[in-house]
Amino acid sequence: MKKGKKVLAILLTTATCLAAMMGCGKSPVQPETDSQSQETAELNEADSAGEEITINFWHHYSAQSAENETLMNVLIPRFEEENPGIKVNAVSHEWGDLHEKLLISAQSDTLPDVARLDSAWIPELQEMGILTALDEEMSDFTSVSGGLLESAMSTTRINEHFYGLALNTNTKILFYNVQAFEEAGINVPTTMDEFISAVKQLSGTNDNGQQVWGYDEPALSGWNLCPFIWSMGGALTNEEETLASGYINSPETVKAIEMFAELYSDGNITGWNSGDIPMTDGFGTGRYMMLLEGPWKISEMEGAYPDFKYATSEIPAGDGGSVSVLGGEDIAMFNSAHKDAAWKFMKFMTDEYAQEEMAKCGQIPVNRQALESDTVKQADFAPFLEAITSAKSRPTVPCWSEMDNELSVAVTAVMNSEKSAQEAMDELAEKYDALLAK
Amino acid sequence: MRISNKSKWQIGLLLLPGVLIFGIFTLYPILKLLIMSFFQWDFKSIAGQQFIGLDNYKEVIQDEYFQTAFVNSILYTLVTVPGQMFLGFLVAMLINSVTKFKVGYRVLYYLPVITSWVIASLVFKYVFNTEGLLNYFLANVVHITEQNVRWLDNRWGGLTVAMFLGIWKGIGWNMVVFLAALQTVPRDLYEAANVDGAGAVRKLFSVTLPSIRGTILFALVMLTIGGFNVFTSIKMITGGEPAHKTDVVLTWMYYKAFSAGKFGYSAALSFIITVVLAILAVIQFNLMQKKDG
Amino acid sequence: MMKKRTRYDLLIHFILLSALIVVILPMVYMISTSLKPNGALYEYPPRFLPSIREVTLENYRYILGQGKFYINFCNSIFVSVAAVLITAFVASALGYVMARFEFRGKRFLFAFIVLTMIIPGLTLIIPQYELAVKLRTINSLEGLIPFYVAWTIPYSTFMIKGFVENVPRELDEATYMDGGSVFTVFVRVIMPLAKPGIASVSIFNFLTYWEEFPWANTVINDNMKRTLPIAISGFFGQHQFTQWGYVFALSAFSLIPILLVFIFCQRFFVAGLTSGSVKG
Repeated sequence: MKKGKKVLAILLTTATCLAAMMGCGKSPVQPETDSQSQETAELNEADSAGEEITINFWHHYSAQSAENETLMNVLIPRFEEENPGIKVNAVSHEWGDLHEKLLISAQSDTLPDVARLDSAWIPELQEMGILTALDEEMSDFTSVSGGLLESAMSTTRINEHFYGLALNTNTKILFYNVQAFEEAGINVPTTMDEFISAVKQLSGTNDNGQQVWGYDEPALSGWNLCPFIWSMGGALTNEEETLASGYINSPETVKAIEMFAELYSDGNITGWNSGDIPMTDGFGTGRYMMLLEGPWKISEMEGAYPDFKYATSEIPAGDGGSVSVLGGEDIAMFNSAHKDAAWKFMKFMTDEYAQEEMAKCGQIPVNRQALESDTVKQADFAPFLEAITSAKSRPTVPCWSEMDNELSVAVTAVMNSEKSAQEAMDELAEKYDALLAK
Repeated sequence: MRISNKSKWQIGLLLLPGVLIFGIFTLYPILKLLIMSFFQWDFKSIAGQQFIGLDNYKEVIQDEYFQTAFVNSILYTLVTVPGQMFLGFLVAMLINSVTKFKVGYRVLYYLPVITSWVIASLVFKYVFNTEGLLNYFLANVVHITEQNVRWLDNRWGGLTVAMFLGIWKGIGWNMVVFLAALQTVPRDLYEAANVDGAGAVRKLFSVTLPSIRGTILFALVMLTIGGFNVFTSIKMITGGEPAHKTDVVLTWMYYKAFSAGKFGYSAALSFIITVVLAILAVIQFNLMQKKDG
Repeated sequence: MMKKRTRYDLLIHFILLSALIVVILPMVYMISTSLKPNGALYEYPPRFLPSIREVTLENYRYILGQGKFYINFCNSIFVSVAAVLITAFVASALGYVMARFEFRGKRFLFAFIVLTMIIPGLTLIIPQYELAVKLRTINSLEGLIPFYVAWTIPYSTFMIKGFVENVPRELDEATYMDGGSVFTVFVRVIMPLAKPGIASVSIFNFLTYWEEFPWANTVINDNMKRTLPIAISGFFGQHQFTQWGYVFALSAFSLIPILLVFIFCQRFFVAGLTSGSVKG
């Protein structure tokens, strides 16, 4: 009996000691922001002058990145200084998690005020009716949007309304291991045929007897496959994005998938399997010789493998030309937001100062003035600026997330030789038509 | 004993917090789950959910992904439950037969049990990586395999790793449970067996195992439930990849609910699983009671 | 005779030790990896232990240098301890009443409690999420507690009921004779005598809360409200590069409280696990 008491006592003392040691006395839940955000959520528009507002900002700058550092230590402090009375609570999620969290939160009225969104999500979220049409509610919308790149702003437009501001843009280009190309005595591929033969030539084993791959692709979704499908002359849907049959299962698209499957079965490419070496590590340690990646990879390599020598080039051209996939993020506010404060923050994030700061860590600006600045002109991402002009965006339809998932399921089956490329794409075309018809 | 009014009040007060918490946070969700399973309830129908009868149930049962996940769950349970029971029992027998370091063994063998699933899964993922330590060991140290085994890249490999993890993590629990049960076997039974000249094997089958039958059944019920409960390890190790082939029922349910937003579908799925487990448990409980009666 | 016995013993110790090495190998590997410099994680050939010269505390320094992990740690402590205390009280009260008194609906209540032990907790995540929305406990650390308590009540009640039944009824009677009430018996007789049982159940519950991942991951949004398991999994980008050194350093760090509890209360772990099983 006594022992029981002792045990509980030990348990509690240990816990409290640890807690005290760690400075838990301060209260782990941060009551200030917590109660505030809840109260103000109810008051919504009624924020009178002297009161302090906290806006919640969700994003997917990864937690240990330079972008996140800049956001937390440079941009937000400056914004809060310029706008007394507004506090920003920035929350970082992983890319996939953010999408899930937004959908879940929409169900529960716990959406943040502002979020940085993959531009591919805008149609889906707009269809759910949770995004604010900025051109209707903000009187100075036109002057703000006028300062941003039109092509990037178009990702936020649905049915003649704008549901966000473009925040940054990006695309992918070819990264390659300089030493490996020198040793093999080959040139950087400029056509798809050269690419295929380079991939084959660079694959094999290294001096340690370890397998090396000519090319790495970290997943099999639209973001990964589109550059190949498009450059080889294929497509996912028709121009109007209403029909997939005849496009996703066209000979060109099927050929692109077959090329992938063939290279994979010969052990020349890999990357999407759970047990594969992660992209950055594989590239930096000479196990993957080529990648298609975005501008963020530059700072990532700088941090993780500073001595590694690599170079970039444009995507190899096929029958469809050299077409990369257009990425990029928008910043949008939700209907439940503190709209004035949220709008101020959105304007701040897209103004010249913030865009230039973010450009320093590899985010390609969309602000016209920032694009003219010296920072941008000297930035490492100059090669990307060119690729952006010919890059295409993935279908802007509300069902894109579902289509994307189906695409990777179908292509995975082809990679594992469970279906032929034609078979899988025919089935996929049917599913896509059904989804697009909804 | 007659219960006075005052006592009744006090009994009621003691029951109240438990019943209240249980009612709100468990009973209500169970009922709600049942209701949701009859509605079309998804991200796009926030406002008006439509009653669709058994359609969700039909969709679940006809869904190939669910069928795969269900088979995976059953296989996982069929492999890990006997696996950890056998190994746990073996360790318990061995520990029981030595005189020294009993406590030390017990503590160390129990370590995997208290390691959290998140951490254990990460360690296993790291060890079973195609480029990981295990493959290096197999191919370059003991030369059993020629190439790196792609543990995590296909259905059977991914499930195998999850099963290894499940067994590894379960041995300690079984060891403790069986060790305790072994203490309850009456000594005189062994002595009687000795008199009959029974060997070690016969003693095991005619004395030890029958005496701890209740414990075996208890472990069986708990572990079967545990087998269908597997979630974190799959989510962490393969995430259901490739193409949902390594999903188990709970990871598939979670995916459908929180990634695809099909709450009605997932509710129906949850209910099916609950019913399956309830049936299994009733069968197992009956087996238990037969022993008592 | 004696000699044969010792040799036989040695053989068993040998088997037990070899198996033990396999069992604790993953944990040792985790610790050893956390002591390697981050760059060496994809080294060739991979090594089980870092060389002495390589051993570094850099990963730990990084983890401990990040204020947010203290907060995650505190969050986990706060939630786990609060849930343990509440469950211990609520389940003891339930277990006591169920063991000692007859009342209408008792059979139903008990059957229901046993039934919910069967249901995989996660299957209720959807309606429970909906409930959390209604109660406005999404993204609230305190909001985790009632759900955790509710999940562990069935098991805890079931076990504690067993312990209470082992307390001789004569002690109750004696207290009633002295003019004690139902409460007095609960506080003066049952609680003290069933304490080892309650303690063992509490330790078990602490483990459960401490490592709980799916629910907290679903309802908690803010970085500053995350518990440790979510913080650990947050390091983990599927296809980008994973800083395994940090992951394992934080993992090792999060095992400390569990190990402390386990080492100090080892005896009760076992008592709690077995009493239910042996009775069958």
